[in-house]
Amino acid sequence: MAELAAWMESTWISKTLFGISWLWPASESLHFIGLCMLIGGAGLLDLRLIGLFRGLAIGHVKALMPWAIGGFLINAVTGTLFLIMQPHLYLTSAVWWAKVAFLGLAGANALFFETRLAVPALGMHPDADTSTTMKVIGAVSLFSWFAVLYCGRMLPYLGTGN
Amino acid sequence: MSFFQRLQNSAFTDWFLGSPSIWAYPTVLTLHTVGMAILVGASFVINLRVLQVSGLIPLHRLQPLYRFIWIGFTINLVSGLVLFLTEAADRVVDPVFYVKMASIAVALALGLVVKRRTIDGMGARQVATVQTRSMAGAALGMWTVAIVAGRLMAYLKK
Repeated sequence: MAELAAWMESTWISKTLFGISWLWPASESLHFIGLCMLIGGAGLLDLRLIGLFRGLAIGHVKALMPWAIGGFLINAVTGTLFLIMQPHLYLTSAVWWAKVAFLGLAGANALFFETRLAVPALGMHPDADTSTTMKVIGAVSLFSWFAVLYCGRMLPYLGTGN
Repeated sequence: MSFFQRLQNSAFTDWFLGSPSIWAYPTVLTLHTVGMAILVGASFVINLRVLQVSGLIPLHRLQPLYRFIWIGFTINLVSGLVLFLTEAADRVVDPVFYVKMASIAVALALGLVVKRRTIDGMGARQVATVQTRSMAGAALGMWTVAIVAGRLMAYLKK
């Protein structure tokens, strides 16, 4: 991984992007804004799936998903920029790989919800309690997004990252 | 030595910033980010709803989100105070710090007015007035300013 990082850092694109002094801080700000959009939107759906916020129809809460997905896309783009600019901070860090793993878990969990649970969930009465499966899916989503946040914020302080 | 300088030069600051323990500075910093996610995440949802995003959600049903807002705010007030104490002398002369504090104050004040006008008293009426919607839009903007200012403060450290 160290070799890969060294090669990436020697490329024109990495040097050029890292040479733009405002790009890193601007990307960081966007990364935090995207995080709030993602956790706000997805978090409310997760809480409803867990069984809180009765009275909200799941279909109505899902109308916030374009904002959550928008937040995710902002963070995917800015996160990729960090990786291209300073790959050695990430590729050799166990905490960064843990973050990637939690992202995978969150993604797989969301995919399971969309393909297996969305149809029954959309048909539920706004006041109805959720099934155990839905509660688990909601809890796993909430946990994995906060785990992603934790790994990202602690990355400079934990494990082999600098 | 000034009051803020004494705060910044305290034994607590030495331990807090110098300790290799992840339970000192890194954990307080991370709590500040967790609190932000809860506080600003919940505020985004409410203000977007007032702006008719997910307009079918009954506004008064979002009332429990205020519990999350206060939890997030408390986490960040406490963690923010600790972070401030250890950088007090630098922060009191940092204009970006005042921009952050002012935008948070305005965002919270707007949030309370929006709450009183919609969640608390709207009943069956599901669409906020243009004035209330502008306040929700301004609150979204103020939270964004607070985040950007907070992030930029890290670059103005000595």
